[in-house]
Amino acid sequence: LLKTEQTPPKGLALRPEEIARIRERLGREPSIVELHAFDAQWSEHCSYKSSRRHLKKLPTAGENVIVGPGEDAGVVYLGEHNGERYCVVIAHESHNHPSQVVPFEGAATGVGGIVRDVLCMGAEVIGLADCLRFGDVSDLESHQTYVARSVVDGIGAYGNAIGVPNIAGDAYFHEGFNENCLVNVIALGLVKENEIIHSRAPQGSAGWDLVLVGKATDASGFGGASFASLTLDSQAEEANKAAVQVPDPFLKNVIMRATYRVFALLRERKITAGFKDLGAGGIMGCSAELCASGGYGAEIDLDKVNLALPDLPPEVIAVGEAQERLIWVLPPEITPEVLGIYNDEFTLPQIAYNARAVPIGKVTERKQYVLRHHGETVMDVPIEFLTQPIESDEPAGTAASARTKPRPEGRDAIDLCSREPLYRRYDAVVRGTTVLARGRADAGVIAPIPGSRLGIALGVAGDPLLSPAAMATAKFAVTEAVCRVVAGGARPVALTDCLNFGNPQKADHYKEFVDAVEGLRAAANTFGLPFVSGNVSFYNESSHGNPVPASPIVGCVGVIDDISKVLTPAFKQAGSLLITIGPFSDSIDVLLDAMERGSVRSCTIVGMGGIEMALARMSVAAAEEGRSLGADADVSGPPVGFIVELAKGAQLEGATQLGLVIDEPTIPWGEGRIDVDRLRAAWSYPLAEVYP
Amino acid sequence: MSARVAVTVFPGTNSEDETLRLLRDVGCDAELVHWSRADSLSQFDAYVLPGGFAYEDRIRAGAIAAHDRMMDDVIAGAQAGKLVLGICNGAQVLLEAGLVPGTGPVRRPTAAFTHNSPVPHFVCRHVYVKLAIDPSRCAITASLPSDALIPAWAAHGEGRLAATPERLAEIESGGHLAFVYARANGRVDDAAVPNGSALRCAGLTNREGNVLAIMPHAERDAWNFNHPDRREGDDVLAPSGGAALFRAFAQALKR
Repeated sequence: LLKTEQTPPKGLALRPEEIARIRERLGREPSIVELHAFDAQWSEHCSYKSSRRHLKKLPTAGENVIVGPGEDAGVVYLGEHNGERYCVVIAHESHNHPSQVVPFEGAATGVGGIVRDVLCMGAEVIGLADCLRFGDVSDLESHQTYVARSVVDGIGAYGNAIGVPNIAGDAYFHEGFNENCLVNVIALGLVKENEIIHSRAPQGSAGWDLVLVGKATDASGFGGASFASLTLDSQAEEANKAAVQVPDPFLKNVIMRATYRVFALLRERKITAGFKDLGAGGIMGCSAELCASGGYGAEIDLDKVNLALPDLPPEVIAVGEAQERLIWVLPPEITPEVLGIYNDEFTLPQIAYNARAVPIGKVTERKQYVLRHHGETVMDVPIEFLTQPIESDEPAGTAASARTKPRPEGRDAIDLCSREPLYRRYDAVVRGTTVLARGRADAGVIAPIPGSRLGIALGVAGDPLLSPAAMATAKFAVTEAVCRVVAGGARPVALTDCLNFGNPQKADHYKEFVDAVEGLRAAANTFGLPFVSGNVSFYNESSHGNPVPASPIVGCVGVIDDISKVLTPAFKQAGSLLITIGPFSDSIDVLLDAMERGSVRSCTIVGMGGIEMALARMSVAAAEEGRSLGADADVSGPPVGFIVELAKGAQLEGATQLGLVIDEPTIPWGEGRIDVDRLRAAWSYPLAEVYP
Repeated sequence: MSARVAVTVFPGTNSEDETLRLLRDVGCDAELVHWSRADSLSQFDAYVLPGGFAYEDRIRAGAIAAHDRMMDDVIAGAQAGKLVLGICNGAQVLLEAGLVPGTGPVRRPTAAFTHNSPVPHFVCRHVYVKLAIDPSRCAITASLPSDALIPAWAAHGEGRLAATPERLAEIESGGHLAFVYARANGRVDDAAVPNGSALRCAGLTNREGNVLAIMPHAERDAWNFNHPDRREGDDVLAPSGGAALFRAFAQALKR
């Protein structure tokens, strides 16, 4: 029988009422392994217990949706090439707390995790994006500047090494993030529709092998899920560091390539397998969700797990979050060949200490989740009880209607300037598929299928300084992400969100989250677009209990049928008519039709900084493409929508005339005009000190 | 029978697929050879070492891979006159293996591609490289025009050529400086250099001219859609300027 615990161990986030519920269901005291398992599985991070009821309101269906939210990543239809149906895989995740505590490793691990989410859908990983919110970096010696630099280096080190291009992203700098930076990452994958692998034990898989692949399990990341579900406390910082996982992009590079080989083997043998990455809750969380979602149980022998250290306690082996691991559900007859690919052909044991692929247990018909260690049963619980959706109560008390502290009027240079010093540290072109590298246009564009004209555009948005109202911020994030994709010449097809908020147990913090979801819902419905993946990050607050500025961050994926039709903001020709058009669903249809007809020469969104900044970007982009052009225009209009340079003789329904492209490199600025070369210097300077 | 090209994959290599794709497109009979399946390597007629972070760039980029068993065959092949092309990390490996500039013993490098300067950070930037030798000086460049200007992407943290003044003088006088960084209009100046490289060096060849090490990735500017200075009306799927280097490699294999 199980050794049980009268007194729960320290450091658990489980609440007393939750422990009572476990005790009641099991009819006995839970074991120490069980307590840690429920602690992880029922944490906010894994269970979405505070957010689920609201997230359900988001639109998730659509004719292009192949896999909606619920698995490790969403999948949407991309298009046909040589008679095959191709899909885009989209995953979105935050790694905020780890990045605040150990910036380089925390941010790198965020990239590593999101890449696995895409990989385990059976996809090749084809693109990355990062949305970063840092503190005030005006003091180059400050801790928040150190965080801002180290996070970027961590993302670069990981993405560059695994060979996935960084194609989009944004960065904001504001004191509201001084004590809690935000690091959100998006990964895209490419998979044929009939080759998608699901994160569940397939039908008829009772008796199949559970094969753990990757890094040797160590004590790193123990308690990571609960760590993400608590507020950062500076006094506990040293303890928190142990909850941050250690990234190994070198090993991941090899695991990815070996896994692509396994995909090919499974295709060849026509085997439907299950595959899922290890994230929160480690081996336990991954294997329990894999088996439960297939309607099965699992029996796992923790002694079979490849360890980095001897004598790890069973609860650490079971729920520790060592990085670079995945679990396959495989029919036993194929297991030896899969082990051969990882261990022999790709020599995992020689790449990192004791890394390997190893069978650790079986899928069972009986719906119990059972762990054994040193011959004893250390966990034996109904699997559905462990993985069930749980909900926490809404926080009591009334919420303050809005934040008391107003957002800054106007924008500083740091808000408006070029992000190039930051993103030039990322490889934008590895894989050789990049059409528009980051910075060239409002969205990044890749052509991931060799020989095909199909392109994928990715735009991201989420201006945390736009409004103190979370709902407006969320609506604008959706609108801007959609408009970015359209400005690049693509048809928007799906959305992904990462919601970064304060403490869900505080009514006023929670209300911002609820409002933001409502804003996302309303805006997505306006455009008729589904959310196919997402993530929620709570407890983003300072040691004084102030939440970060409400930060709903949105990515929009678009499809381009012919990459020769991509657009950049760069002015093309003197004499072209400039117009503005609104960021509305019907005006977007008009604009996309005009692009299809070839009536649009260049295009950009009017965002932060208004029409003047948009004209500045268009003229600077032209200068970078070697054309010396400017604009004569009325800049008094509202700072929303698109600016479009029309081809000769073209017209757009519903457009407002703005002015003309001129062959003199100046644009209107305030009361007068400004030289494009001067703008270009001013535009590239502010961040160059932070990222030399 | 046409010449067979091995594209080597070390643990940490990351540019093998696009390199293979372009080699095949220019007509090479090329295949990937992984580190654990390297027994056949000596039977190939030419070697291409693609980009990445072989062995995690431990010690110095390329330093460990230069001592990998796969390099035994590549070094033997180079010494027997086979063509060897190294790109980015592959170029770093060739320097660490002593094959280029080849002015010292094997695996005792006389020059290195090391941390960028003035800021020792990874940099991703579109560049042009200009042929700095007579095309016939190196077998791989022999079919290029003498003023060849090739678009490519620099994407590296360790691409600055570094060597003692005597070794740098030897590189210049010995005709080892195969490519230098240039602007889009062909002008060679410091602003065109993304990494502080000595001699504005982007690529080096050996004394015999059968080995070429080049830092920027021409294979990432292989198709018109990759090319930032694409002209309106160019077919996006047609080869762009970067493919020229690979066509020249394929041409050299036929001789």
